[in-house]
Amino acid sequence: MRTGARRVSGNGKRSAAARAAAILMGTVLLAGAAGCSAAAGPGASLTQVLDAAKSSGAKRTTTHTQVTPACDPTAASLRPPPGAPRVTAGSWMAHIQARHYLIAGVSASSFNFGYFNPIDGQFEGFDIDMIKAVAAAIFGTPDGHIQYKAITDDERQPDVMNGTVDIVAETMTINCKRLKFLDFSSVYFEANTRVLVLKNSTATSLASLGGQKVCATKGSTSAGIISSYPVTPRLVLVPVPQFTDCLVKLQQGQIAAISTDDAILAGLRAQDPFTKVVGPPFDPQPYGLAISKQHPEFVQFVNAVLAQERADNGWATSYKKWVGTPVPAPPVAQYAD
Amino acid sequence: MASTKTAAGAAVGAGPAAGGHAAAVATRRFRLDRSTPGRLRLLLGVLVLLSLAWGALAAFTVNQYSSAASSVVAVREPLSLDAQQIYHDLSDANDTAATAFLTGGLEQPATRQRYLADIQAAGTLIETATAQGGATRGGASKDLATLSTNLPIYAGEVETARADIRQGFPLGAAYLREASDLMRSTLLPAANDMYAAENASLSATSAQATGLPFVIVTIAVGLAIIIVLARASRWLRRRTHRVLNSGLLIAAAAAVVSLAWLAVAYTGARGDLLTAQSHGSAPVEALARADITALQAHADESITLIDNGGDPNGADEKAYQREKSALGPGPGTLLTVAETAAAGSQASGGATAAVRDAQAWYAAHVHLRTLDNSADHTAAVESALGSGPNDAGAAFTKLSADFATGITAGQATFAASASAGADAFTGLEPAVIAAALVMAAGCAWGLSRRLAEYR
Repeated sequence: MRTGARRVSGNGKRSAAARAAAILMGTVLLAGAAGCSAAAGPGASLTQVLDAAKSSGAKRTTTHTQVTPACDPTAASLRPPPGAPRVTAGSWMAHIQARHYLIAGVSASSFNFGYFNPIDGQFEGFDIDMIKAVAAAIFGTPDGHIQYKAITDDERQPDVMNGTVDIVAETMTINCKRLKFLDFSSVYFEANTRVLVLKNSTATSLASLGGQKVCATKGSTSAGIISSYPVTPRLVLVPVPQFTDCLVKLQQGQIAAISTDDAILAGLRAQDPFTKVVGPPFDPQPYGLAISKQHPEFVQFVNAVLAQERADNGWATSYKKWVGTPVPAPPVAQYAD
Repeated sequence: MASTKTAAGAAVGAGPAAGGHAAAVATRRFRLDRSTPGRLRLLLGVLVLLSLAWGALAAFTVNQYSSAASSVVAVREPLSLDAQQIYHDLSDANDTAATAFLTGGLEQPATRQRYLADIQAAGTLIETATAQGGATRGGASKDLATLSTNLPIYAGEVETARADIRQGFPLGAAYLREASDLMRSTLLPAANDMYAAENASLSATSAQATGLPFVIVTIAVGLAIIIVLARASRWLRRRTHRVLNSGLLIAAAAAVVSLAWLAVAYTGARGDLLTAQSHGSAPVEALARADITALQAHADESITLIDNGGDPNGADEKAYQREKSALGPGPGTLLTVAETAAAGSQASGGATAAVRDAQAWYAAHVHLRTLDNSADHTAAVESALGSGPNDAGAAFTKLSADFATGITAGQATFAASASAGADAFTGLEPAVIAAALVMAAGCAWGLSRRLAEYR
């Protein structure tokens, strides 16, 4: 089945037919994972793949409607096969391997998570380490095998969906709304929403900022939290492309506060010691690596990589390097099954 | 004045001695007295007035054309050149700032110098333009105010970016974006406005300095006066049987000389000013437009690499493609327009080279994008900054140099031709006034002598 799918997708990634085939491949694989036996054998024709997909379509939909009502974002991912991550023939990993590089959507400006280091001209951070681990699992080494695409928060979902990137590692919260369109890896980081203000501010939380301007990036969960925050008068959301743009505005006195994940706020605070993080942590934000629903085998593969990272101290080393000490235990991987 | 030795004078003077025909002679003299001296007096008055009127008209005409020509050289063009230079310097500063932080690592001293030189030059020019009276002119004054208010803000943001970048903070990139937005949304449009206004004003002044109708009227009046003098001379010859009246002769000579000088000066100045326009300001303007668009395209090439989106449909790459199609070459594009405008002028070499080197740059850009799109970002950046034969950086440097060569040559042509045009009128204004006075004096003297013979 996988050989057949690979042959089809090898016809040209950009063509509509290939895209359809890729979608079908994903569908077929998912159906396979759900226990469907209607699989095409090696060397299967496009028609056979189509038929296999058709016959399994209903089952797949059922599987999803069963998951959605009881949505637990932290336990929505696909369980990896036991053992070390393996690049199986015909899989999306094999496709990436043939391409010679992994395309990763990352942030260029989230200090210590994913950012373009202007000193050495490299992408660095905790998110970037996760990408490097995935690339290393596919190629043996990440060096020269990653194409970073710096994308803004509102580009993450569409770029994964339309195949512009293989994977997104950009402080992306797993939530039920996004799970309808994307697959996520298991949780690799747990963040909480907090507030960043200037050091001389008297604000103690979002509740004390009623009627004032609060900044977040377009398309982030934080923007949603700010615009729906129950306070009178309402918070005024100032949406910008990147969180560093929020800090520029805070430094120029155009906004009162920035509200987003503590992970991001710590990075902003590190760039301007005249700011402080205030208020209690609220609204937990579990981070996952986003992958297209067309490549469930790649989701499983990435989960296997993360399992390895948790086990062999890779996660802890990255945490220590980019987030700091004390290093907590890594988030426990939970899966949908 | 009464004493006369000419033949005609003796003949008339003999009249009173013939007392035998006193009545007849008296009648004849009376008739003569009523006709010839009266007409002479009338003619004298008319000719003197015409001479003075000619002087006034010619002097006024010369003054108009000469001051328009000097305006082209002394007032309009420096401001217009400044506007173009400000526009160029600002575009170059923004492009340099974007490119400086492309590599990561320490910025190159040369890049830093270039950025600082651009900002300093633009600042000085804005100040000079304000002092030169740009501030008193409606549109330019608003643009100059926008420029002088926002340039320090822009420079401040770039320096903040630099300080953050030096600490390895991604916040620097945000300040750089903010600065670039300010440049593109506020500073460059103001510079463009001012440049366009100054160009329009230059064209208007040039048109005034080379316009035909006024000088044609003046020359026609001058010719009419010469004809009047000739006819007066002929009438006088018939009446008085003298071959030549030296007074009128002098007047006619002065009229012919002043008229000829005026015509020659005007023709020369017009030729020079038209050359200044066609071989100077026109190619310079066309080249400057192409140069500035190329700088913006280059800045977008850099930003595409900084943003590192690598998306062929990304906003920066789209902006680059837009600017590339505006540049051409091709019918109606900036490069082709510049090449056409520069044809046959000193700027032609630069313009032709620019067309050639632009295509080399486009090819290098395609290669650069291919590198960046196949995960070789480092090689793409190296190409953007490189000086090798196939590097985009080197190709753009060449293109920039072509524009500079063409613009400098065009400006030199403009300066030389426009000054020659303005110089053509040197000394003409006092000369036509002097000529008019000589004409008036000549007419008065020549006719008074005839008149005196009737006393």
